[in-house]
Amino acid sequence: MLFSSIPFLYYFLPSVLVLYFIAPKKLKNTVILVSSLVFYGWGEPKYVVLMIASIIIGYFSGLLIEAFNQGKKAKLFLWLSVIVNLGFLGFFKYSDFFIENFNAVTGLSVPLLKVALPIGISFYTFQILSYTIDVYRGQVSAQKNIINLAAYITMFPQLIAGPIVRYSDISKQLKKRIHSFENFSVGIRRFVLGLGKKILIANILGELCTDFKLSHDKSILFYWLYAVAFALHVYFDFSGYSDMAIGLGRIMGFNFSENFNYPFISKSATEFWRRWHMSLGTWFRDYVYIPLGGNRVSKPRQFFNIFVVWFLTGFWHGADWNFIIWGLFFAVLLVIEKTLMLKHLEKSKLLSRIYMILVISVSFVIFNATDMKEAVSYIGGMFGVGDIPLVSKEFFYYLKSFAVVLILGLIGSTPIVKNAVEKFTENNKVSKILIVLEPTVLVILMIVMTAFLVDGSFNPFLYFRF
Amino acid sequence: MTNKTKNIVVTCVMATFFLGLSVFCWLKPSDDFSNSERRKLAQFPGLSFNTIMSGDFMENFENYTLDQIPLRDSLRTLKAAVSLNIFRQSANNDIYVENGYASKMEYPLNKQSVDRAGDRFKYVYDKYLKDINTKEYLTVIPDKNYFLAEENGYLSIDYNEMITELKEKTDFLQYIDITENLSLQDFYKTDTHWKQENLIDVAERIATQMGTDIETVYELKTLDKDFYGVYYGQSALPLEAEKIKYLTNNTLENCKVYDYQNSKNIAVYDMEKAYGKDPYEMFLSGSLSLITIENENAKTDKELVIFRDSFGSSIAPLFVEGYKKVTLVDIRYIHPDMLEKYIEFNNQDVLFMYSTSVLNNSETIK
Repeated sequence: MLFSSIPFLYYFLPSVLVLYFIAPKKLKNTVILVSSLVFYGWGEPKYVVLMIASIIIGYFSGLLIEAFNQGKKAKLFLWLSVIVNLGFLGFFKYSDFFIENFNAVTGLSVPLLKVALPIGISFYTFQILSYTIDVYRGQVSAQKNIINLAAYITMFPQLIAGPIVRYSDISKQLKKRIHSFENFSVGIRRFVLGLGKKILIANILGELCTDFKLSHDKSILFYWLYAVAFALHVYFDFSGYSDMAIGLGRIMGFNFSENFNYPFISKSATEFWRRWHMSLGTWFRDYVYIPLGGNRVSKPRQFFNIFVVWFLTGFWHGADWNFIIWGLFFAVLLVIEKTLMLKHLEKSKLLSRIYMILVISVSFVIFNATDMKEAVSYIGGMFGVGDIPLVSKEFFYYLKSFAVVLILGLIGSTPIVKNAVEKFTENNKVSKILIVLEPTVLVILMIVMTAFLVDGSFNPFLYFRF
Repeated sequence: MTNKTKNIVVTCVMATFFLGLSVFCWLKPSDDFSNSERRKLAQFPGLSFNTIMSGDFMENFENYTLDQIPLRDSLRTLKAAVSLNIFRQSANNDIYVENGYASKMEYPLNKQSVDRAGDRFKYVYDKYLKDINTKEYLTVIPDKNYFLAEENGYLSIDYNEMITELKEKTDFLQYIDITENLSLQDFYKTDTHWKQENLIDVAERIATQMGTDIETVYELKTLDKDFYGVYYGQSALPLEAEKIKYLTNNTLENCKVYDYQNSKNIAVYDMEKAYGKDPYEMFLSGSLSLITIENENAKTDKELVIFRDSFGSSIAPLFVEGYKKVTLVDIRYIHPDMLEKYIEFNNQDVLFMYSTSVLNNSETIK
């Protein structure tokens, strides 16, 4: 089920929240679990069983790892959990990729399995892995109550597109959390703003990207318009989803960690990845990069570690070469920055801005390409390779038609609005006005977004496919 | 204190909003039909183990909730207003409004589609018309975008390129250019079609090119019902209603019209459809695959066969004055191979008359 859908907003969510708040404390996690299974089953009825299997394996692995207290058997059960969960992920997400490449290298024609990718498997697999690894490391206690563990893994706000919530972050809240007007108010505001990012910015810019791909009247500036629009589209799509997840969690008393921190204001690719999809970045840092030695090793080894992490980051996003190249593109940049550029980028605002516009635009063109041939063709188009005009009729039309949304997107991707609002609210008079203004704006936004949903077409969240 | 109050107010208002709309959604009786969109609305889907496991229930439920949401038409209008007036987008659902005329952008030029249409016309020509004593003609009806799109900054196909492409594909047909006889005012503001009352000179131009005199006197009648064309519903914008006018005289009133699709006699102007969901269907009862109009008082024995789309319905009656029999064929609804059962091609004028929008989307032509 999509957050940005009428069934979710006006059927599922109100029903679940009523049930949740009238349920006694003991049963609140059960309400979360059952409603999350309904939420997941709505889109993937057949794969509910797979997710339950992953949860059961994670649950018993956690208990056994703790029971054997970091001994050899604990390690055995840790590996068992890791192998089985990564096995599920590998089978459903990567099997056809490996078969295709095997066929390409050997000339054989092993038939593809063509299994459908279970929604959210990349996210919940990583949550289960982090749980069992943390139990093994002794950083958290194993969860004795399977309902609580299942509620954590399946929790519908973050189940299918993150953020990747660590068990250690919410283990206490699974037992005891605060339900308050403040949590509800802050949560619903965050949810509505996230929904706005998705429906009013991301979806509209998505239309521009689709129109570009179908265009037969491309030009250099149209390629750039597409690159900027797609970067903003991904950002508002994914950060909008994260906002909604964090908001819904907050309504129910959970504090999920932030996933985005205005990545487009970064001065370097290194900084960008501290601000973009932070929950994934820290996951790979804690469970891959640091165990490999991190940066407390020789330079060549550190660079190797960086390449491993970014290869995996790219591969996590999709079973295709363009995702791997996308990850490695950042690995190369990070290595270059660490060795040569970082000091210069931090000194010069102009240089860092130009550099990051190039990095962000090119990287997301690779990210959204159907294959590497398209990626190369689009990047070539951006830099005028081939017989491409500077402007075209379609460029002017689409620039005019999407200018307002693009400007809103560019402004919204910086902290300008947030800072302005914070400054205004410091004023006592403004604070009083906000008592009326804030709920009014939220209701108007909800009505407008409902209108867009009713008149719009199907716009699934981009990160579902990961 | 202020924050605490604000939190309580926000919580109460938003909870009331979501719960209120939720209850409204659950309790509102389902509507069967949307007049503005001229389509049946989705109903609550069948619930069974199979429909759940296949995902059909969920998909149909989504459609049901979108179709049955309270104040649906107002919400669609709100979306269109925000898109056009706040986001300053050029079009809503590809429909734009300029000078009071709503039009759907037809872009880009689909040469393959134009070629396909040409191939289908050639198929008809080769099967029925080649080497016999019929005279074959082609005319292309420009859509509203021809007059409206380019000069107002909307994406527009190259109409000259389209017509040249089609003419090259159909060099066995004599092309009749009607673009100079048409202007924007000859089209309905809220609909894709042209106005019959403005087509006399267009019909005369075509007839003259075919060597036929159709000059006559008509009485102009106005339908006493507001007409909201297809773009009214699609655009969801508050466009003004129009009136349908139609031309009649003794000849037309005495014609015999036969609908082969439903095997029955019909009228030139179908008053039941005039007051139905799409009043434009009053012209020869709308989308029918094969119709004949017989004028027993004609001064000539000439016959005309028109291969046409929906634009043909309103102009065809104007040819009746010069022909004893006018046959209208819509090969989107009947395969050309079937025509030998109904039409004996011999000594007729044969006119292929298609709008640019059908030519650019010709996959419907059989």
